[in-house]
Amino acid sequence: MDQLELLKKNWKKLDHTLPKLSREEISNLIHKKSSSIVKWIFIISLLEFIIPNILLLFADFDKYTTETRALGLLNFSIIFNTITYIVIIYFIYRFYKNYQSISADSNPKVLMQNIIKTRRSVKHYIWFNLAMIPIISLVTLYKKFSTPDFLEKLPEGTSMLLVWFLTFVLVAVIVTLTWLFYRLLYGILLHKLKKNYNELVYSNGDDCG
Amino acid sequence: MTEELEHKFIADLEQHQNIVHKVCKLYTNNKDAHNDLFQEITIQLWKAYPKFRGEAKFSTWMYRVALNTAITLYRKSKRTIKTQDFDSVLFKIESSEYDDTEEQQLQLLYKAIHHLSDIEKALVFLYLEDKNYREISETMGISEVNARVKMNRVKNKLKKILNP
Repeated sequence: MDQLELLKKNWKKLDHTLPKLSREEISNLIHKKSSSIVKWIFIISLLEFIIPNILLLFADFDKYTTETRALGLLNFSIIFNTITYIVIIYFIYRFYKNYQSISADSNPKVLMQNIIKTRRSVKHYIWFNLAMIPIISLVTLYKKFSTPDFLEKLPEGTSMLLVWFLTFVLVAVIVTLTWLFYRLLYGILLHKLKKNYNELVYSNGDDCG
Repeated sequence: MTEELEHKFIADLEQHQNIVHKVCKLYTNNKDAHNDLFQEITIQLWKAYPKFRGEAKFSTWMYRVALNTAITLYRKSKRTIKTQDFDSVLFKIESSEYDDTEEQQLQLLYKAIHHLSDIEKALVFLYLEDKNYREISETMGISEVNARVKMNRVKNKLKKILNP
């Protein structure tokens, strides 16, 4: 006899041996806090969004405006910040729409697809932020390096080529570390999901649905 | 209104709680993990309940939410089974050659199922619930052919675990 058939035969009999929760116990359970992966992804996405923006609140805007004006970057800064905020508003809208689409009563394939889609939009937001780091820092430093003040302070005989080389290395290290941090964070969170999704959908390419 | 909905939900779940317990039985291997998963499934069911319009049977709707929670949403590692358990399955198979009672076979089967992947466990669960391939494919969101192929693989895998 097929092993599973044996289990199936006994499956219904199990009902008498299972725990039986009272209405009161069920009522207590529904008021407990969920620890689902979606909740964690949502919390982390919010932190990714909120923390950098909170840090900006502490920035000295007067000093920033004076400095950018002195460097001749005021217009660039206004345009850059406007674009950044338009993009951020677009991403908030995307996050909201995506989280709305995640529903525990869709089928597992759709649920996993929606979570992956949600993560993808957060990933795009991170890529956008990572791309902004070299753009803003290199443009600002380019202007800064051309000021007489900076050139005066530079030890005699220092090649500008070396200064730029070190600048590029530093920016690259910052971008790479941030990228690695995100990879690790979501790697831990999404490892199981991706494995299950691939198994469900792509197993040996036999999916016909 | 919310209170009314809550009463109705609790009554529905009380009546059908065996489905959730059975999912927990396949996905966990100790009492704590069982209770933990039961709690998370209950929370997810309650969260999704306002959207339940009664188009499907309450039990069918529960299958999806319960399996989704076990496969995707639940994140506790307590239910991970240690590899020693696998060895004990094999050991028991050898030692039970002359004592082949049905109860013992069932225990071995449950242990073997705990070594399947999350997706495979879901297929086994639906099979045990006597769902046909069309229903399995609809619940899981895969094609009927895929469901059939995967189910055959699961059966073979179980055979291999039980008869190494």
